[in-house]
Amino acid sequence: MDVKTIPQREKKIRKWKFSELLADQEVRRRWEKVRKYFFLRESTYDMSNRCNIRCNGCYYYEGEKQFAEENGDPEAWRKLMREERARGITYVVLAGAEPSLVPELLKVCYGEMPLGCIATNGFKRIPEAVGYRIHISVWGNDETSLRVRRANNLLSKQIENYQGDPRAVFVYTFTRDNVDEVYEVMDIIAANDCKITFSVFSSPAGYTGTLRHNQDSLNRTRSAMLDILFRYPEQTLFSSYSAVAHTHQSGLHELYGCSYPRRNPSTNIGLGRSFRQYRTDLSWNREAACCVPDTDCDECRHYAAGSAVVTARLYRHVTDPNVFRSWLDYVDTYLAVWVMGYEKGENLCREIIEPPRHLS
Amino acid sequence: MSFTTDKKTMIRRIAEIIIFELKLQEITPEKFNPDLDLVDELGVDSMDLATVVLVLQDEYGISIDEDDYPKLRNVRMIAEYIEQKRAA
Repeated sequence: MDVKTIPQREKKIRKWKFSELLADQEVRRRWEKVRKYFFLRESTYDMSNRCNIRCNGCYYYEGEKQFAEENGDPEAWRKLMREERARGITYVVLAGAEPSLVPELLKVCYGEMPLGCIATNGFKRIPEAVGYRIHISVWGNDETSLRVRRANNLLSKQIENYQGDPRAVFVYTFTRDNVDEVYEVMDIIAANDCKITFSVFSSPAGYTGTLRHNQDSLNRTRSAMLDILFRYPEQTLFSSYSAVAHTHQSGLHELYGCSYPRRNPSTNIGLGRSFRQYRTDLSWNREAACCVPDTDCDECRHYAAGSAVVTARLYRHVTDPNVFRSWLDYVDTYLAVWVMGYEKGENLCREIIEPPRHLS
Repeated sequence: MSFTTDKKTMIRRIAEIIIFELKLQEITPEKFNPDLDLVDELGVDSMDLATVVLVLQDEYGISIDEDDYPKLRNVRMIAEYIEQKRAA
């Protein structure tokens, strides 16, 4: 049929009301489940300027933050956590360079702020008294880890430390070079009944190394993510829309508009208002504040960034039942990855949904 | 709700929606100060506001652009915004 002959009313895209989207009981239940966590307000904290390995493309050892002095005083950290709570922060991300090297500080933070996550390389086990989610970074098989991270038997050591630990989520970062290795790693992860989620290498500003993605590697990454999700649904904390959002030709900022202060001048509401990224000397700088500082924003497809940025764009995802289901899957995934005790539900949408752009 | 609903009724209804959606306790629509700053004084965050906006869109049959969110600082400003949208 010639397109010109289609009556106008048939060409119109149906405009869905929010209440109509929620009329589906399965969708309504998932919405009520995720919205209970809308109170989460995060900030991030570099805990130590030391690390026990040195990785190619490391975010920490870029920019000014790496030169900040280390404040190892537990009372200073206790005071900071109390001040953070007082200004409305409800969730802490303890990161760079390697938090497991300062276990006493982790205990202090956990004592003051019960919800949070620690980003670690997994080489040194974090004491069980610290009840945060623990994200263990995986960048390939042991051969690749030795080459890229100069770490021997890293995956074996990570599993030895965190097998059966309900806090642990292994975060496989896809680089241009390690896409196919995920199958080998996943077999090991699944055999040890560990959980996995995915991130996408996002080049630090000025990075010229070989890990930077290109269109081909992004396409292969998406296929691998979806394949792993299909093959290992019990062990994989991910969704189809997560794969789309993080492997799209456009980065997260171009797709959704990053809401972290570094790219968001507004201090009216949300991350632009409350988010801070503290250095090891407990200073912070709004101009540099984002979840993975010193990343090239045009290349950012980082899982931590997406968790906040995609979630914040709720209103762009209420246009259609499947778009909304995809958003719910994304948020359900992010909460399962970041919040201790949150159980991921079955994904509601397996279709590949293109990210909606700004609506006006 | 009819198109001719006066502003006072609208303000009360918006307060009801906010109280219900954000599960606020110890406050009633009648006692809700329409000039209370939702962010600074009530502690509303971006996801709370987005939820309220979606319900308001349904209720009043309007579309609220994400760029207009900063204009929705309190219940009175929301009511004025909705009036303008409906009059346009």
